[in-house]
Amino acid sequence: MKNVRTLKRYAALILLTNLSCELPPRDTNKAVLVQDAYRTETSVEDEEYVMITTAVSMPMYVNHDQAAFLKWGETRNVKVSILGPADWDVPAQINTIEEVIGTRPTGLLINGTDPAIAQAINKAVDAGIPTVVYDSNIPGANHHAFLGTDWYEIGKMQGQEMARLLNGKGKIAYMGILGLTNMDQGFKGLLEVLTQYPDITVVGKFDDKANVQEAARITSDLLAAHPDLAGVCGFDSNSGPGIALAVREARKSGKVMITTVDWEPEHLSLVKDGTIQMLAGQKRELFTWYGAQFLYDMVHQTNRLSTNDAQAGITNIPAIINTGLIRITRDNVDEFLKP
Amino acid sequence: MQKLLQERIYSLSVLLVLVVLCASVIFPSTFLTFENLRQILLNLSTDTIVAVGMMILLISGVFDLSVGSVVAFTGCLTANLMFFYGVPVPVAVLAGLASSLVIGLMNGYLVAFRNINPMIQTLAMMGIVRGLALMVSGSGIQNLPYWFNALGQSRLLGIQMPVWYMLLAVSIFSFFTSRTIFFRRYYYIGGNEKAAELSGIDVRKMKMYAFMLSALLAGIAGILLSSRLGAALPTMGRGLELRVITAVILGGATLSGGQGKIVGALLGTILMGLVSNLMVISRVSGYWQEIILGIILISILWADQSLQKKYS
Repeated sequence: MKNVRTLKRYAALILLTNLSCELPPRDTNKAVLVQDAYRTETSVEDEEYVMITTAVSMPMYVNHDQAAFLKWGETRNVKVSILGPADWDVPAQINTIEEVIGTRPTGLLINGTDPAIAQAINKAVDAGIPTVVYDSNIPGANHHAFLGTDWYEIGKMQGQEMARLLNGKGKIAYMGILGLTNMDQGFKGLLEVLTQYPDITVVGKFDDKANVQEAARITSDLLAAHPDLAGVCGFDSNSGPGIALAVREARKSGKVMITTVDWEPEHLSLVKDGTIQMLAGQKRELFTWYGAQFLYDMVHQTNRLSTNDAQAGITNIPAIINTGLIRITRDNVDEFLKP
Repeated sequence: MQKLLQERIYSLSVLLVLVVLCASVIFPSTFLTFENLRQILLNLSTDTIVAVGMMILLISGVFDLSVGSVVAFTGCLTANLMFFYGVPVPVAVLAGLASSLVIGLMNGYLVAFRNINPMIQTLAMMGIVRGLALMVSGSGIQNLPYWFNALGQSRLLGIQMPVWYMLLAVSIFSFFTSRTIFFRRYYYIGGNEKAAELSGIDVRKMKMYAFMLSALLAGIAGILLSSRLGAALPTMGRGLELRVITAVILGGATLSGGQGKIVGALLGTILMGLVSNLMVISRVSGYWQEIILGIILISILWADQSLQKKYS
């Protein structure tokens, strides 16, 4: 009798647990377009636009993305905040997005670097927050707009320049942060171009961990192992300075060709002195300036495209913007160097 | 009162209550909401599961720097098996957990039986395992099976499952470390290794088991994190080892061993989670987060030392 009662208690507990258990939805890609819901009644000074990056301390982000976003906030006279982990950390960025949603910002500008953030973006959209992604597009996410560069094109640009510099023959290596989706696209673009040049041999792909010393160490090891190494391509902000350091120390400046990404002051001075031959630069200021402006336009319904955009199932901002690339060589580097 | 001040878990609890009270007054509409508290617990759940294993290691006087890499590798290997080879979810999860046990076994064997310094051994393993994670996942694996994602995305009583797993892990190991002879031995080992050995405890085996347990918990955390994200990333768990060691030391452990309670690990991660959440709510940049956590850690240790001196 006692056993039957205990059994009944357990059964009731299991039933209760099952009833309170909620499985995740199967369709995570349902589009949400209720534009009128985004309209704000607060005054412009009370509006807050939040940028969430994957690493707030990265110099490239600070000098370009964040500087332009802060300038935009000042110009528009709205509050802007920049959040995210200090160092590169995708799960921490997701945590930050999910924590920010509860504080109901006017708009969210999210640094897209990994497809894993799709669910967090969708949570923000589902919560009715205007959301724009910049840098790399995020498949499976329902954000309202995307602005960025095609990393495949960055790889292609480097491949074409390297092939031109080497006259279609020689040994090359390339490096960046392994394990990142956008960089993987860049590697693919590079290799795609190089398949057209059978006399160019790729000696390897290396992980410089976004670290100047590591990039320099890899390059000096490569120069020791392959004295006839003709070129190196870099894919993260610190690759170029690291590769250039090792090439200069080996007294091979101008003999080993270097192409890389970004155009920080140190990259530009290395182009000026002839150590780096080409920079494939992104127009990062445009990502965040126009990204924030899109959020503003969405909230303020600057451009109504129909009598009722919400019922028409549209947003009043562009869906995808490719901001294009900047090609910097010794010929035009002076235009980018600040006096 | 004296006991309250001397025991870290009590002083940490008091600090936590004060932080919660202050935050509730300063941010009444955003902090003390069910959604926000649920999110804080979810965000610290995987760190806490790893912290439980780290606490047991630190009690026995050793630590493991490879846990962050194990989190990444286990998640990536499990995802790889499901995505590329069509392995059923339970089998892939078991294979992932088995791989974490093997890593723990290797760490434990080399530290305990080959006398390799734990810092050097686990530092080397951290690099090896991170490399393996990159090998099996490339730039990450998305679109994982629905039932795998359900492990970390389902909710019970409105709270996502990783929080429940965290509470389960803390409860089980709190009970074990306070009530079972097997786990109590770790306190003797950490307190005085030689004396523990002379009293008949197989210190080497016990240390090896501790490394295996820590790696297994890191493996569980890796699977839960991948399942929660719906993706396995080779960059998962970067810096996790230091975060977890900080939380565990905040929670009452020492690097010399013999001290600490599992609940302390939970309180340590909760304090770190609260600080992180308050930074987000008050829109303080990520730069400050680490500075503030460092200051809190030093302040707590300094206050602890002063109180110990005063009452001893």
